[in-house]
Amino acid sequence: MTEELVRATLKEVLIEEFEVEEDEIKEGANFFEDLDMDSLDAIDLIVMMDKKLNIDLKAEDAQKIRTIDEFVALIMTRA
Amino acid sequence: MNTRRVVITGVGVLSPLGNDMQELQEGLETSRSGVVHVESWSEYKDFNTRVCGLVQWDDYKAIPRKSRRSMGRVAIMAAKTMQDAVADAGLSEEQISNPRTGISFGSTMGSDAALFDSIGTIAKEKTFIGQNSMSFLQFMSHTVAANIAAMFKIRGRNIPACSACTSSSMAIGIGYESIKYGMSDMMFVGGSEEAHPYNAGIFEIMAATSTRYNDTPDQTPRPFDTERDGLVTAEGAGTLVLEEYEAAKARGAKIYAEVIGYATSCDGEHITTPSSEGMEQVMRLALDDANITPDKVGYVNAHATSTPKGDIAESHASYAVFGDKTPISSTKGYMGHILGGCGVVESIIGLISLKTGLLPANKNLVKVDETCAPLDYLFEHRYGNHDIVMNNNFAFGGINTSLIFKKIEE
Repeated sequence: MTEELVRATLKEVLIEEFEVEEDEIKEGANFFEDLDMDSLDAIDLIVMMDKKLNIDLKAEDAQKIRTIDEFVALIMTRA
Repeated sequence: MNTRRVVITGVGVLSPLGNDMQELQEGLETSRSGVVHVESWSEYKDFNTRVCGLVQWDDYKAIPRKSRRSMGRVAIMAAKTMQDAVADAGLSEEQISNPRTGISFGSTMGSDAALFDSIGTIAKEKTFIGQNSMSFLQFMSHTVAANIAAMFKIRGRNIPACSACTSSSMAIGIGYESIKYGMSDMMFVGGSEEAHPYNAGIFEIMAATSTRYNDTPDQTPRPFDTERDGLVTAEGAGTLVLEEYEAAKARGAKIYAEVIGYATSCDGEHITTPSSEGMEQVMRLALDDANITPDKVGYVNAHATSTPKGDIAESHASYAVFGDKTPISSTKGYMGHILGGCGVVESIIGLISLKTGLLPANKNLVKVDETCAPLDYLFEHRYGNHDIVMNNNFAFGGINTSLIFKKIEE
């Protein structure tokens, strides 16, 4: 799995499921401070990405992610 | 005991006949039907009803995502009517979040669609992995009350009223009593139900759904008619803003009507079979609460769902209270049975009646079932000069409600 695919999938999920504006999805964007998400959104983001990419993400991983870059890095360690 | 007068100062409604009070009024006046043929239900085996009253509205983005994510259609529709009612009443955020402003909302079920999506997978695969965090919040019993409270920053009392077909009429009653007895100064009240084959299926199990009019959906349901063959489920939602009268008057609020009477009581008998005695009792209790005699009521909106037993029982209860001189109709013939939302939508029809004088006909009533009591059934629309209407609703569990509304003199 390439990082490019992960970023593209994450972008698609953020736009379609969390109604984030495309221009807000920048490298380093913070889910909670920049994208108006919260801890419940983080859990559901984990679930959706897990289903899309068929990787081993758990609800507790939601506590480890704050930014898009951190999340992409976490996924790459499980890919 | 010192009590306070309670008035209605805001209305929001989504119904199979229209998405605001004006559209609902026009739908009644033109005798339109909101019942449609639903072909997609054919995917269920040996499921015979194909008719449902559907709301033509899906502008979900009217509700902000953060609020909407924990709502199924049942709560989204209710939240939309709350938005409309708040705007209609012209309320500020301070008034809405005042600790003496509360809410009461109900539905028969939370979101059936969310329930099916979630529980079906969990039961089959025996795992909670892969479930999102919002499903339960969408299908829990008090999803409407909980979500509206969070979205509108309600700080006062929140009393969910989930009693199947009396959910939203009971919610109105709770709001009325909260203000009347000084517990709150303002209450947002109402209820909702979303259409789903499950809602219809549970009635079909009990042989209570309409199945003979699948190709002529505007011909069913047929409350009180000899050719009725069961109920038609529907979806819809409504919100009323209730306020203490003097405060409403002081702020120059538009007043639709006064709530002058409410009662709820229980049959304490069969879990589903309606009791004529219980229905009569609740109507008399509401009249006592309003301190009026039955002859003062100019229109009765009956619950009558078009089931054989229920319509007969209600007709005899209504006859015992009113005799044959009070115009009566069930407006379910126009849109079906909104279950948890019917009480508030039918109360709003009562407000339309007070405003316009319209006494809406029993749509689809051609020949009254001979076993029904000889009431003043409305076969065609009439217009009256009445200033008081009653709305009756009855639910599984023998739970009964009766509400009485009165026009406020200008």
